[in-house]
Amino acid sequence: MNALQIIIAGSLVAISCGLLGCFLILRKMAMVGDAISHAVLPGIVIAFMLTGSRDSVTMLLGAGVIGVLTTFLIEFFHTKGKLQTDASIGVTFTWLFAIGVILISVFAGKVDLDQECVLYGEIAYVPLDLWITDTGTIMGPRVIYISASVLVILLLFIGFGYKELFLTTFDPAYASAIGISTITWHYLLMGAVSLTTVASFEAVGAILVVALLIAPPATAYLLVDDFKKMLILTSVLGVIVSVCGYYLAAWLDGSIAGAMAAVSGFFFGVAFIYNRLMVKKSSKVKPSKTAI
Amino acid sequence: MIEQAKDPVLEIHDLTVSYDRKPVLWDVDLTLPAGQLIGIVGPNGAGKSTLIKSIMGLTPNSSGYVKLFDKNLKDVRGKISYVPQKESVDWDFPASVLDVVLMGRYGKLGLFKRPRKADKDVAMDALRKVGMEAYINRQISQLSGGQQQRVFLARALAQQADLYFMDEPFAGVDAATEKAIITLLREMSARGNTVVVVHHDLQSVTQYFDWVIMLNMRLIASGPTEKVFNTELLQETYGGKLTLLSDVGELIRRERFPSREQKRKKELKQKK
Repeated sequence: MNALQIIIAGSLVAISCGLLGCFLILRKMAMVGDAISHAVLPGIVIAFMLTGSRDSVTMLLGAGVIGVLTTFLIEFFHTKGKLQTDASIGVTFTWLFAIGVILISVFAGKVDLDQECVLYGEIAYVPLDLWITDTGTIMGPRVIYISASVLVILLLFIGFGYKELFLTTFDPAYASAIGISTITWHYLLMGAVSLTTVASFEAVGAILVVALLIAPPATAYLLVDDFKKMLILTSVLGVIVSVCGYYLAAWLDGSIAGAMAAVSGFFFGVAFIYNRLMVKKSSKVKPSKTAI
Repeated sequence: MIEQAKDPVLEIHDLTVSYDRKPVLWDVDLTLPAGQLIGIVGPNGAGKSTLIKSIMGLTPNSSGYVKLFDKNLKDVRGKISYVPQKESVDWDFPASVLDVVLMGRYGKLGLFKRPRKADKDVAMDALRKVGMEAYINRQISQLSGGQQQRVFLARALAQQADLYFMDEPFAGVDAATEKAIITLLREMSARGNTVVVVHHDLQSVTQYFDWVIMLNMRLIASGPTEKVFNTELLQETYGGKLTLLSDVGELIRRERFPSREQKRKKELKQKK
C-alpha cells in the first residue's frame, strides 16, 4: 500500500513536470525551468513562515509569484543589461536560491522545514503525511491530492491553450503577427512551471525536480517526431520512471527521488543510443531523391 | 523618386525604427498600390526585414505610423499575412507539414477553439497550391529548403488574406521552387491580392515585380519597376558598394526591356 502511494505520487509529479518540460526544451528554455525550480525556494520558505503550514494555497501562490519574478528578472537582465541569457539565468536563480538557503538555516528552529527535505525531497514520507479533515476523517496522503490537483490544472491549461502554446513555441514572430500575444503565453507557461515545481519539491526536492522536467521530454523528443505523441510518451515515461525508480531504491535501500532521477537519465541514454543507431542505419540506405 | 499609389493598401508615414537608439530605418514615407507584386530591394543591413517587421507590429516604431487598408493593424489583422524568414524557426521541431499549415488558421479560430474539418480543407487546398499535398504527414525536419519554404507559403495561403508580406521567400531554394513560387505569387496578384516580397537577387527584379521599393536605411525609391529600377537609383541604393552594379546596369539596358529598346531604336531610325 505504501509502495503504491509513493509510486502514485511520483507518477503524478513526473507527468506534470514532463508535460511542461516538453514546452521548455522546445523553447530552448530548459535551464529556465532549472532556474525557476531553484528560485522558488525563498518563496516557499517565506510563505511557510507567514502561514505556518505546508499545504496552503497561499504558499503555492507565493512561490508562483517568485517563479514568474525569476523569469521576468532573467528577461530583464538579458534585454536591458545586454547580458547573455545563460549568464542572466545563472545570476538570477543562484541568488534567489541562496536567499532561500539562508532563510531555512536561520529559521530552522522555528519552521518545520529542513534543507534536506527541500533539496532532496522526502517522497518516502508520502504515506505518513496524511490529509485529515476537521471532522477527523483520514483522506489519504496529502501530497497525492496536491500533485493531482496540479496535474488537473495543467491538463486544463494545455488542453485549452494547446494551439497557442504550440504556435508560440514553434514560431513566436508569426504568432505575434497573427495577433497571439507571445508574452502572455510565455508568462502563463512560466507561472505553470512555478506552480508545478512548488507542488513537486516535497516529493522529489528542488534539485531533482529538474531531472523530471527535462529528462523524460528529452527522451521522448529523440524517439517521436510529433508533438502530441511527445507529450503522451513523456507522460508514459514519467510513470515508468517512478515505478522503476521506486523498486531500484527499495532494492538498493537508497533515496527514492535519487533513484527516479537516475532511472530517467538511464532511459535518456538508451533513447540516445537507439536514436544514433537509427540514424546510422538510415544513412546507410541510399538517400532517396528528395523531391523539390 | 517616390511615386504615390492611388487608393493605397498600405500607407507608411514618416516611419523611423531604431535598435538601441541607432536608427535602422529613417523617415520612410510611402504608399503601395493594390493587386500588385511588390519587391523590396537594398543591400544587407538596409532594413528590408525591419520594414516588414515594423509593418506587422513586431518591432516598435520610434516615430511615424503605418495604415493598412486605411486602418490600424489591430483592426485588419485577418486580412494580412506574414511569411517570416525560413531560418527564424527550428525545423527540427516535432511537427508535421499539416500541423504547420494549420497554424495559418489559428488567427481566424480565436482563443480555445480547435481547427475543424473546414480548416483542414483550407490547409489542404493551400498545400495543393504549393505542390506539397503529398507531404502532409511528413515531419518538417525531413524537408528540403525549398519544401520548407513552400510549407511556409502554404501556411500564409491558409490565412486567406488580401495582403501578404514575405521575408526572403527565394532565399536558399532551388530553381524549380523559385519558379513555382513566382508563378504562385503572380496568380495571387492576378486575383487582386497584394504581395510584398523582400528580395535579394537584382537580376530577376524586372522579371518578377510590378513595383519596386529601393531601400538603404532611408527610402531611395518606390514606384513602378520600369520607372524606378534604373542604374542611377541602384547606384544610390547600393552606394557603389556593389561591384556588379555596372554589370547589372548593363543587363538592364541590354536584356530586360528589349521590346521597348528596339521600338525606340526603330523610331530613331525612321526619324533619320
